[in-house]
Amino acid sequence: MIRAVALLWSLGPLLWQLYTSLRPADALVSGPQGLGSPGGGIFGGWTLQNYSQLLAADPPFWRYLLNSAVVGVAGTALTLLLAIPCAYGLQQQRGALRWGTLALLLAASLFPTALLFLALLEWARQLGLGNHLLALALPYAALSLPLAILLLRAALADLPPELEDAARLEGLGPLQRLRFVLLPLLAPAIASTAILVFLFSWSEYPIALTWISRESLLTLSAAIARIGASSVFTIPYGAFAAATVLGSLPLVLLLLLFQRAIVSGLTQGAVKG
Amino acid sequence: MSVLELRQLGRRVGGRTLLADLNLRVEAGECLALLGPSGCGKTTTLRLVAGLELPEQGGRILLGGRDITEEPAGRRRVAMVFQSYALYPHLNVTGNLALGLRVRGVPPQERERRIDAVLELLQLAELRERRPAQLSGGQRQRLALARALLRQPALMLLDEPMSNLDAQLREELRPELRRLLCGGEAPVLYVTHDQQEAIGLADRLAVLEAGRLQQVGTARELYEKPHNRFVATFLGRPALNLLPPRDGRQLGLRPEHLRPVAEGGLAARLQRREWWGSQQLLWLESEQGDLRMLLPAAHACPDALRVGWERHHELWFDAATGERLQGLA
Repeated sequence: MIRAVALLWSLGPLLWQLYTSLRPADALVSGPQGLGSPGGGIFGGWTLQNYSQLLAADPPFWRYLLNSAVVGVAGTALTLLLAIPCAYGLQQQRGALRWGTLALLLAASLFPTALLFLALLEWARQLGLGNHLLALALPYAALSLPLAILLLRAALADLPPELEDAARLEGLGPLQRLRFVLLPLLAPAIASTAILVFLFSWSEYPIALTWISRESLLTLSAAIARIGASSVFTIPYGAFAAATVLGSLPLVLLLLLFQRAIVSGLTQGAVKG
Repeated sequence: MSVLELRQLGRRVGGRTLLADLNLRVEAGECLALLGPSGCGKTTTLRLVAGLELPEQGGRILLGGRDITEEPAGRRRVAMVFQSYALYPHLNVTGNLALGLRVRGVPPQERERRIDAVLELLQLAELRERRPAQLSGGQRQRLALARALLRQPALMLLDEPMSNLDAQLREELRPELRRLLCGGEAPVLYVTHDQQEAIGLADRLAVLEAGRLQQVGTARELYEKPHNRFVATFLGRPALNLLPPRDGRQLGLRPEHLRPVAEGGLAARLQRREWWGSQQLLWLESEQGDLRMLLPAAHACPDALRVGWERHHELWFDAATGERLQGLA
């Protein structure tokens, strides 16, 4: 019973969006009383008109998906590239240096990013980063780094220290230990960190909105907001819903894909038998 | 010849002395057991020798006459078997063995040949595809040992390698371990808190307590001529009886040296009897405190008795310092 409620609670809004996206625009406002009218009734008048409208627009909607994916992948890759050595280096430190840095990182990761976007915009203007899709990966990586380092450091701390000692005695240098021993064991933590960073960059709005103005370079969140605000007089609910559905599909796929990697990673890491 | 020499080795962490002034020499092919209660500095000694930690200023580690104190761990040609085995969980048996050889640049054919040989030696050939999680405790220990032997080390270190195994397996593995480790070129340092294991495996024992070396010698030397009270009580089971100190001196008597006597000795009452097969351990309450006495199983023992011993079995200690007083026995 509780499970059913929880399922409804989390899936309800999504299903409602899906439903809305498949309905003609006027059906949404006409309600069940317009049974006789075209597209009347709760289950009548299904249409893909909202989707076709989105995909036929200029630029087509998949362009935004692609933009977001490019930014997300670049941001995630950059974050991991920096966070893994940082976390490893931090774990090598002892005492005040380690704990002080961790406290600072925690403070940084708790800082509300929305307060930063004006200052960041100033920088982007000075450095000429506006309207460059990949430039968005820079602030995304910067903002995700503290949390990513914290997560990966915690995962490193969970590995038995003798593993690295053993590798050291076998003649493996620091990078070889990272590459051959630690990284394979950190795979689950890296996967979940990557998902978090990717989700953040997928849904980030203020920076994407202010750094990008060219229509063909918009990321998903900025593009969807633009659809919603396309007219002063009406809100195109159907198109809006279709955009959200299309925008979340890749995420659902990604999570399903990664979930498997995480689960297999967890059983692989089991030391006790 | 690779001889291990430790000179003035010490280690302090945050004002706490883990090890102080350790001087020790292990001959080529000799197996020396570092023995002591937990926290006595035996694992610290191993980690210093391995190069996983650095000693305090002035401490020196020499291997085969060469000073390796400053040398990085990976270059010391020292292999170590960890208490937890520290097997790479994501690699199978072959992978665990191959990694070190690979990064040290051993060519693939030789790698394969050496791995096959060591797998054969340790009877792991059937299990080469298994991950550590799919191995039993004894198999994991053998794999850890295989990895260490594969290193062809100039010095072998073992940190409580059997503490995760059950008592029976430990006893079975002892001769095998001795056959594999001892008598080669490399000296062996073997850390354990189990005196049975130390006596069964090692040529000599070094007893540590609170970071200080108490005594080095063969098991027999340590048993018969302990330098101090700690060594005397730590070695020998059941443990030494210590009578209450008197006039700054304290008498220690081994349970196996006590006998019921007709007259003289101490008056005692029998409290409890433990049967040990061929022997019995008798728990006695005497005018000088509780005593343990070990007798042949067949020996009858009344409830009230007198306990005696021979003078040459007496171990006298300075009550304050614990040093053994020579020439009093």
